[in-house]
Amino acid sequence: MSAALLEGSELRKSFGVTPALDGASMDVAAGEVVAVMGPSGSGKSTLLHCLAGIVRPDSGRLTFAGRDLLAMSDRERSALRRTEFGFVFQFGQLVPELTCAENVALPLRLEGVRRKEAERRAAEWLSRVDVADLASKRPGEVSGGQGQRVAVARALVTGPRVVFADEPTGALDSMNGELVMTLFTQAARQTGAAVVLVTHEARVAAYADREVIVRDGRSRDMRAVA
Amino acid sequence: MSGNVAVRWTRDVGLGARLLFSGGRDGWLRAAMTAVGVGLGVALLLVGAAVPTMLQARSERGDRRVASVGAELAKDKDTLLVGSADSEFRGEPIHGLAVQAEGSRPPLPPGVARLPGPGEMVVSPALARLLASREGELLRPRFDRKIIGTIAPEGLIGPADRAVYLGSDRLSADRGPAGRRIDHFGAGGRHEGLDPVLLLLSIIGIVVLLAPIAVFVAAAVRFGGERRDRRLAALRLAGADSAMIRRIAAGEALVGAGLGIGTGLGVFLLARPLIERITLWDISVFAGDVRPAPALAALIIPAVAAVAVAVSVLALRGVVIEPLGVVRRSEPVRRRIWWRLLLPVAGLALLYPLAGGGVRDWNGGTGQIRVIAGAVLLLLGVTALLPWLIGLVVRGLRGGPVSWQLAVRRLQVDSGTSARAVNGVAVAAAGFIALQMMFAGIAADYTKPTGQDPSRATTYMTFSPGGPGRDVVKARFARTAGVRDVVAYDTVEVSPTGASDQLTSLQFGDCAALRALADVPRCKDGDVFVVRDPRADAGALVPHAGQRFRVHGGTVWTVPAKARSVTSHEDPRGFTAHGLFLTPKAWAGKRPVSAETVVYLKVDGSSGPDVYEHVRNTATSIDPVALVSDLQATDQSRKFANVKRGLLIGTVATLTLIGTSLLVGILEQMRERRRLLAVLAAHGTQRAVLTRSVLWQSLLPVFLGLALAAVAGTAFGGALLAMVGRPFRFDWTAVLGISGIGAAVVLLVTALSLPTLVRLTRPEGIRTE
Repeated sequence: MSAALLEGSELRKSFGVTPALDGASMDVAAGEVVAVMGPSGSGKSTLLHCLAGIVRPDSGRLTFAGRDLLAMSDRERSALRRTEFGFVFQFGQLVPELTCAENVALPLRLEGVRRKEAERRAAEWLSRVDVADLASKRPGEVSGGQGQRVAVARALVTGPRVVFADEPTGALDSMNGELVMTLFTQAARQTGAAVVLVTHEARVAAYADREVIVRDGRSRDMRAVA
Repeated sequence: MSGNVAVRWTRDVGLGARLLFSGGRDGWLRAAMTAVGVGLGVALLLVGAAVPTMLQARSERGDRRVASVGAELAKDKDTLLVGSADSEFRGEPIHGLAVQAEGSRPPLPPGVARLPGPGEMVVSPALARLLASREGELLRPRFDRKIIGTIAPEGLIGPADRAVYLGSDRLSADRGPAGRRIDHFGAGGRHEGLDPVLLLLSIIGIVVLLAPIAVFVAAAVRFGGERRDRRLAALRLAGADSAMIRRIAAGEALVGAGLGIGTGLGVFLLARPLIERITLWDISVFAGDVRPAPALAALIIPAVAAVAVAVSVLALRGVVIEPLGVVRRSEPVRRRIWWRLLLPVAGLALLYPLAGGGVRDWNGGTGQIRVIAGAVLLLLGVTALLPWLIGLVVRGLRGGPVSWQLAVRRLQVDSGTSARAVNGVAVAAAGFIALQMMFAGIAADYTKPTGQDPSRATTYMTFSPGGPGRDVVKARFARTAGVRDVVAYDTVEVSPTGASDQLTSLQFGDCAALRALADVPRCKDGDVFVVRDPRADAGALVPHAGQRFRVHGGTVWTVPAKARSVTSHEDPRGFTAHGLFLTPKAWAGKRPVSAETVVYLKVDGSSGPDVYEHVRNTATSIDPVALVSDLQATDQSRKFANVKRGLLIGTVATLTLIGTSLLVGILEQMRERRRLLAVLAAHGTQRAVLTRSVLWQSLLPVFLGLALAAVAGTAFGGALLAMVGRPFRFDWTAVLGISGIGAAVVLLVTALSLPTLVRLTRPEGIRTE
């Protein structure tokens, strides 16, 4: 087994009196695709949010490339998410006012890449996920599947080392879902990005190298079981 | 309407009403925001509707306490001697009247149960509070008397009115304001109304103040509008036709407006007693006087409901649904300008016939309706043109940093929401610019030179007969802090013996006092002067040597042969003296008992703000009915000043409401976009980028709104100036000043919204979605 790029252990998180994570642990190696599975309310999204530095766990350890995420300031974690991580959510969460190309270019521009260069790289990624013709359309004018492909392009355009995907096909029909997952995992593997994929669908999890099951806030790594 | 149709309408409207509260906490919050927004607007509209009754009540209260002098009265058991004891404290007036009963049944001032005797006084509650407070310490020497009662509200103009009735035993009936006889209180006569120009100014002022409130109400019924549109679109998908959707939207809007009207009535009733605690520019109002005119109040309720329904139904134009059930906004509507231009053009067309000074002889009601309609259409034109202008300008904007791009793109997709937030500011700014132009244009007509010369003397005083005389008065003021120079002389009216119908003045004072009145080349104690008034009529009495005068009290005095003639010049009040002037050694007898003492003071205003209070205290300690007036080069018409002051108060209220409206609008927009903000933050978007984006989103429409307001306000102001026959003059100070205030309101509101933005841009926010 290769060394973990992202590693969380004994993560605990409560929202008020409700525990969401109760000692969950998980690690991801570079280039690895890991599916996080579990029933609704099991804590899998909270685990993803903790791993991505979006939510701060109450306790536990969390490192990325050897750096302690919990010791980082909010600003440092934001910078990390901008440069090293990418995100795909259930509904894409594209900015509705921007065109698809501008949405994909957005993370680059936030990093200070010049507009022309950002647009060129965005166009390249739109081509890679087969939606080049949607460049000038706004998210409201494209279908759900097309929107998710744009979201995949946006997640990968900065060359992140980890992409977090939370139910990326949850709002799609099976055909569109498979298309998006194929493009997503292929592109991620080509760039060498690790993927943390939260899903409750076995057919989506099948795209992963391994699975982690989350139940009642605790994780179970299926690699260890095997 | 057939039974089926009625049932359908009732069902759809009822469904809309239920939808207002759907969506759990969000639904209730949305309903509450609408209720509060509409409610604030309704409450202010009700206050606006109460303005006529408030003004009427204040005017009647003021009239009731006027000490009326009609025909000459003889002393009787029901007569009262009165003398003005008006004063002021730190720039705010104190209404004072000295009273002295002449019989057993003197008239009582309104609100007073018993007349005060010498050494006693009856005060208003506000003055009593002031005298008892630490701040009133300086005022206490002026009213160092026993308080025997409090003036009831019927004797006061407002709750903060500072008024006092002082008991006296030194009043006489022939001293003008300082002493006259009355047998009743109350003016009783007809009111002199406002002149046409001031009436126009007042009407325009009310329109300008109420128009932004109406705009605010229209914006408030759209709180949570985006979510509501999506919900209605989903209903459409479920099979509702467009007519049903309109009815459902109308039902939802009606209930929102109803809640708002209820809230507004509640706020109005709850806040009404509190209005007595507010004093702005020395105007305060009794709660009981704030009674909306029934006709106006009855108009407000259906008008608000109609606006709510119209705005909601019109807003549905931009919502469409596609077959898979995904709700999509249609492409931004290409806004057409022709009908938007019609509104201001129609407004100007209505005002045009009154151009060339036409308002000075306008024909009452019809003219007023024409002016109101014209002003409303002009101001509504701003709200109609603004979305078009924003759309036009942002359409061509490209490039720029990410924050700019996010803001511009948002405005390109939907300029209406931003325009709605800014409409109130733009309408208010346009109106205020027009009003300011008109004020500047006509101020000269209402500001007259007084002829007074404050560089020679800052304060003029007269003391009643029977007082201590000029030497004592002069010495008292010389010891008063801040007084730099005192000129004082005694004066008494005299007639030549055998010609009691001819009058002239006999003045006693030193050479310095004489020099204040006349050109005197040489003067020493013991000299006598005949003072000639160069402005006097040819037949006026000019004393000469050997002429004998009867001084009050029977003494006869002869003009000595050595009396020299001098010519009077304007005194610091702008008057010219005439008669005889005697230096101290020239009069061997006692000071005439009927002599008044006249004093001119030069007060050093730089020695502290309370220097004039010390002067008034000294004056009152010498004579409670001493007439004290500060000299000033110009005097502004009281009615003009009142209209200006009233509009200032309205401006504060309107700007406060606009600020609230903007804040609610911005917060609501953020709430609508909180998921997106949280996602952007999750992606690592810097908070500063999001903050700047929100700022651009506010500033760009505000800038365009203020630019439009400057154009519309200048055109409106030009029309108003033409109506009062004044030439057009672009008023940079008005445009820049009012635009600055508008921009400051927006910046303040944006600053207040930043904590919410910071809260919504925490990446953890994504979890709650």
